[in-house]
Amino acid sequence: MKIKINHIAKIEGHTGFMASVLNGDVKSAKFQVQEGVRLIEGVLIGREYQDMPLIAQRICGICPVVHNLTSIKALENAMGVSVTYETKKLRTLLEYAQFIHSHALHLFFLSLADFLDMNNDIELISKYSAEAKMAIKIREYGMEIVKIVGGRVVHPLTNEVGGFKKAPDREALKKLVGDSEDILQIALSLGEFFRGIKIPEFSRVTEYISLGKNGEYAIYDGDVISNLGLHISVKKFENNFLELQKQKEVIKRVKHNGQSYMVGAIARINNNRAKLRDNASNYLRSLGWTFPDYNPFHNILAQMVEVIQSIEESKRIMLELLNSDLNEVITKEYKVCEGVGVAAIEAPRGTLYYHVDVDAKGYVKNVNIITPTAQFLSNLEDDIAEYIPQILKLKDKEKEKKLRAFIRAYDPCISCAVH
Amino acid sequence: MKIKVIEEKNKIPTRAKAVKAKKIVKTKKVVVAKIANKKVEAGKPRVAIVSLTSCEGCQFVLLDLGVRFLEFTEQVELVDFRLIEDEEDDGGMLDLVLVEGNPVTKENEKTLLSARKRAKLLVALGNCAAMGGIPEMKNYHEGVSTIKHVYKYLQGITNPEIREINNFVKVDFVFPGCPINGEEFLKCIPKLLKGEIPTLPDQPVCVECKKAGNRCLLLDKKPCFGPMILGGCNAVCPSSRAQCQGCRGLRETGNVTAMRAMLKNMMSDEQFQNMTEIFGLRDDLEEREKKDKRKKR
Repeated sequence: MKIKINHIAKIEGHTGFMASVLNGDVKSAKFQVQEGVRLIEGVLIGREYQDMPLIAQRICGICPVVHNLTSIKALENAMGVSVTYETKKLRTLLEYAQFIHSHALHLFFLSLADFLDMNNDIELISKYSAEAKMAIKIREYGMEIVKIVGGRVVHPLTNEVGGFKKAPDREALKKLVGDSEDILQIALSLGEFFRGIKIPEFSRVTEYISLGKNGEYAIYDGDVISNLGLHISVKKFENNFLELQKQKEVIKRVKHNGQSYMVGAIARINNNRAKLRDNASNYLRSLGWTFPDYNPFHNILAQMVEVIQSIEESKRIMLELLNSDLNEVITKEYKVCEGVGVAAIEAPRGTLYYHVDVDAKGYVKNVNIITPTAQFLSNLEDDIAEYIPQILKLKDKEKEKKLRAFIRAYDPCISCAVH
Repeated sequence: MKIKVIEEKNKIPTRAKAVKAKKIVKTKKVVVAKIANKKVEAGKPRVAIVSLTSCEGCQFVLLDLGVRFLEFTEQVELVDFRLIEDEEDDGGMLDLVLVEGNPVTKENEKTLLSARKRAKLLVALGNCAAMGGIPEMKNYHEGVSTIKHVYKYLQGITNPEIREINNFVKVDFVFPGCPINGEEFLKCIPKLLKGEIPTLPDQPVCVECKKAGNRCLLLDKKPCFGPMILGGCNAVCPSSRAQCQGCRGLRETGNVTAMRAMLKNMMSDEQFQNMTEIFGLRDDLEEREKKDKRKKR
């Protein structure tokens, strides 16, 4: 028997899915990626390093902030450029704001309808209009931070190697701090609503990989850690993980010790939950999970936890920045020099890695970009292969629906994965 | 009946080696009768938003309009918008189709051609569709070595020369920008829904930049394409102290020669050329320069 989904809607990018089942055994479960290649890594070669962040961020329209920041960090590491404490804080704020609006979109507008048995968001929004308004308000808060700090929501403008071209407006930040408490309350109410949603049961043991850092919920930097005890510096990533292209595939896959693994909100919550702020931590506890939690559908609720965390953390950072000299974020002079740099940042969908090689004049010699979806796609296929027997007796349409829901819970971004 | 004259960009990418000539529209000027006096059928206008290969950022600009986007969806019958609906497109006629991205795969090309067949009006949504954008950058690199850098196995990977969607289908209107400007979308959409073609004011980025009170980047010897580029973006880049790199395309009356002469003091020819490649401006610029030279003669 074949299960074929020609096109999966409500995710970023284009992909289909096919599985074949023989006498109840899943023989294969594979994505059929239909995304066109843009060869972003290829076109960066030979260009001046300043072009890289603004070209690379166009890999993805939903998470440009993280592509932009990771390429900037990799370039800074390559050329030995250091940035101020305030710059790091402001970048972390951008990161959290990116989490808020990306997660709020996925939670509510891309994934929720699957668990309420609805086919489109227009129906969802009219039936759950109060909740839709909450999700929109939360998104708008996250987007407003990106706009104030980055200059624009889709493809921000102010970041560059060494710092920021422009400091955010103090009054605008004050206003956002003022809004924070309300938004946090809204997020907690939306969290209540999500806690009441019936989420399917499924569990398969896997390795959860994320950044980890002493004393804080790692977003902007840290080491590479896992629930199985891995702890290496980001520099060692490419030595420990294998990125492979299979024949006839435009997407590369990444494996650790020959196995598939998971990244993203659920991985971070599993690895770093002890470092969550109070509200996020309390909300997580109220979900009553036992750890390690291996249900991929829980990724949606893990994103809800992170929305709460991100709002709390954003407010703290903004308050701290308001008490400091904001002009410290402005780029200071630095020297362009030859070097190799790697960097990793937690993107909404998981750890994003950049590797860049720059020559003495600042021209890019080599680039490698490893996105979260490229990392978790094999894990998703392995999960689905184990999930299919549970739904084999359902009618074709129902089966397809369940699979779509499963795939969307992962929040894949095919545009990122192919790039 | 309103008659619109459309100038087809009969262009071949500069370093194109394997351009399939048959696909390029040969006619220089095509007179096209717009189906304007055909009244929209009873009920709401049927609209589809389709995405080819891209970052999907222009679709997100629409979603990011939040409640205002929802109000737009209430005015129309949204036949296809994959980001928010699972239901299969019914395949019927459309009043308006918005196309984002670039036809890189065969599937993309099919989607584009079928969108044109079904729609009264086809509109390019953003820089990739309108000017080739980021996907077009690879046209300026050595084809095989670029893809070899990224992929070990090339079999089964479609890697065509990138051409703007108006090389494949007739385009009735363009929302320019990388990404598009959401406010501009809201301003223009009522006309489009009535079957009319909006016009964007032919003014440079500098008009809005001055209004925003920015200090001119060119005065600080920072190369900025503002004067030759179509405004309407609220000068969002220079307002963040980032130079305009021309994602909205050349102005109809922009003085390209003067711009280039001015920039000569600030950047090398190579730097200029590289910068114009990012948003697919280079081929348009070369074409404009040729046209200007012809005029002079």
